[in-house]
Amino acid sequence: MSENPSEKKRIYLQPWPVRIWHWINATGIIVLIVTGAQIRFPESVAVLSSYKSAIDVHNVTGLIVSISFSFWFFYYKMVKNTLDKLYIPDEEDLKHGLVRQLLYYCFWYFLGRPSPYHATPDHKFNPMQKSAYLAVMFVLMPLVGLTGILLLNVTPLRILVLMWGGIKFIVALHFLLACSLLAFLCTHVYLATLGNYIKPMLIGWEDVEEHEEKHVEAPAAIPGYRPVRHYPEYAEMQHEQRQG
Amino acid sequence: MKYRETAFFLTLSIAAWVCLSVLAQPGASAFSYGEEAGKNESCLTCHGDSAQVPKGFFIDTKHFNQTTHARIGCEACHAAVPATHPDGAKVARAGCGECHADVDREYATGLHVKKTTCNGCHNPHMVHSPKEVSGQEINAMCSNCHNTLEMTARHGEWLPQSELHLRMLPCITCHTGSKEYFISMYIVKSKNGSLFGKQEVAGYDELKQISGGKEIVSLIDKNRDNYVSLEELRVFNRSQNSLRLHGMMTPVSVSHKFEILDDRRNCTFCHTSGPALMQTSIIAVPEADGSYSRVPVEKGAVLDALYGTPDFYMMGSTKNGALNKIGLAIICGGLIMPVGHGFVRFLTRKNRNTKEHKS
Repeated sequence: MSENPSEKKRIYLQPWPVRIWHWINATGIIVLIVTGAQIRFPESVAVLSSYKSAIDVHNVTGLIVSISFSFWFFYYKMVKNTLDKLYIPDEEDLKHGLVRQLLYYCFWYFLGRPSPYHATPDHKFNPMQKSAYLAVMFVLMPLVGLTGILLLNVTPLRILVLMWGGIKFIVALHFLLACSLLAFLCTHVYLATLGNYIKPMLIGWEDVEEHEEKHVEAPAAIPGYRPVRHYPEYAEMQHEQRQG
Repeated sequence: MKYRETAFFLTLSIAAWVCLSVLAQPGASAFSYGEEAGKNESCLTCHGDSAQVPKGFFIDTKHFNQTTHARIGCEACHAAVPATHPDGAKVARAGCGECHADVDREYATGLHVKKTTCNGCHNPHMVHSPKEVSGQEINAMCSNCHNTLEMTARHGEWLPQSELHLRMLPCITCHTGSKEYFISMYIVKSKNGSLFGKQEVAGYDELKQISGGKEIVSLIDKNRDNYVSLEELRVFNRSQNSLRLHGMMTPVSVSHKFEILDDRRNCTFCHTSGPALMQTSIIAVPEADGSYSRVPVEKGAVLDALYGTPDFYMMGSTKNGALNKIGLAIICGGLIMPVGHGFVRFLTRKNRNTKEHKS
């Protein structure tokens, strides 16, 4: 099912639960940003007809995104058991991967050289994506969700609100985290246009062109290039290092 | 002879005039209020002692003596007390409208006029001016008739976080047509002394004890200039665990025309009022007589980011300007990649087209 023996190789990169989660998140976060802006700046933002409807939509959407986030966590951690592998950068990523990916985005890309990384179902994210998603999915999202839930109804949650430093601290944190998420969103959407990321997130499959194999050879000529683990020469290099 | 007759009649006339004048005095055959200096005392000797009078006739002298009504004296309202008092006969009472005609007229146009009279809300022997009454006391007056739980449920049909709204607002903020507001802050104390205990408005005696016998305001106003600066407010909020400040959005002018206003159902009435309306705040300090005195607070205190009023935040109106700028800077940071990289990407598009063409 996952292999198509034609001239194009197809890999099943994004399973359906992940795609549903991603698009619920995407829609939800946009709704949350718009309604959140109206809640904080009602004098200048009036997307929804009334302030109350903005609050209601914000609350309901926030809950949907929080539940969706919990499903995502459950799916990757319990069902696929790949959460740590996908999202936590390993030693190789930290030593070389991050710099290499940064160099690619800042220089090699402009020179027309291929990406040093290609996604596979088990290694979907390049080292920069891993680091960014680690911060977003394990820090920003849980914190913005928790602060939002605390603000849902502050009277019954009074003790928790006080434990977090009072309502003003929670509101300030929620706002700044939301701004950080919006900043991430801008970068995320832009970077999605740099590679073949959008199609797999829509249909699940990614077409891997035959000529991509040639890309494996090309970067070797670049000074400082080190093969990445899913390129064939990576295993060879590892083997040589062990023997040497 | 003629001179002696004239003198006799003149003396008789003066005596008769004096006698008639004395008899014509309204109080001549009525209750004696005693000397001018202690005229209330003659009433309060009995009415200030709960053991001597039935419950409804007892007057708490501690509160009464501080009221304007005490200053004008008992007989100003209870003029025709018979000399036989207390003989069970009803004592005359002045109508409130005799002095408060403007309030009476205003009250007559509202919803309450059909429900109750002035005494339904105000005890004339305890009444303070609006400036001396706490928001909680105002709400306590309302809850004598309007059950708090029922009101919370009924408001909750359309008002989000109704319990919070009803706790943070005196009822008159929404149910009278006041246009201008300020934030009055009350010192609340946790019941068991911990930060998380149930909070209640702290009374004079306990605050006096906490302040070590000094003036209560010295707990916040450290330099005792009768003005609380933002820094003093921050120090208080950072250092206190059991004492917190509870803010209420209070109308500047108090109206007695009670009504249900449609514009108050629109959240934007308060929540888009903007920082301008949130500039003014006071701290209401309890006094020994049960009233409150107001201590002004530095302008814009409730707009402070974190420690000015950590427990008071009104969505849409008390947002902090500095936080907005930090948020904007973060969002701009997120635009560096799309804008900066995108620009260079556009300039170098030929490099990638050439490579793709070759491959």
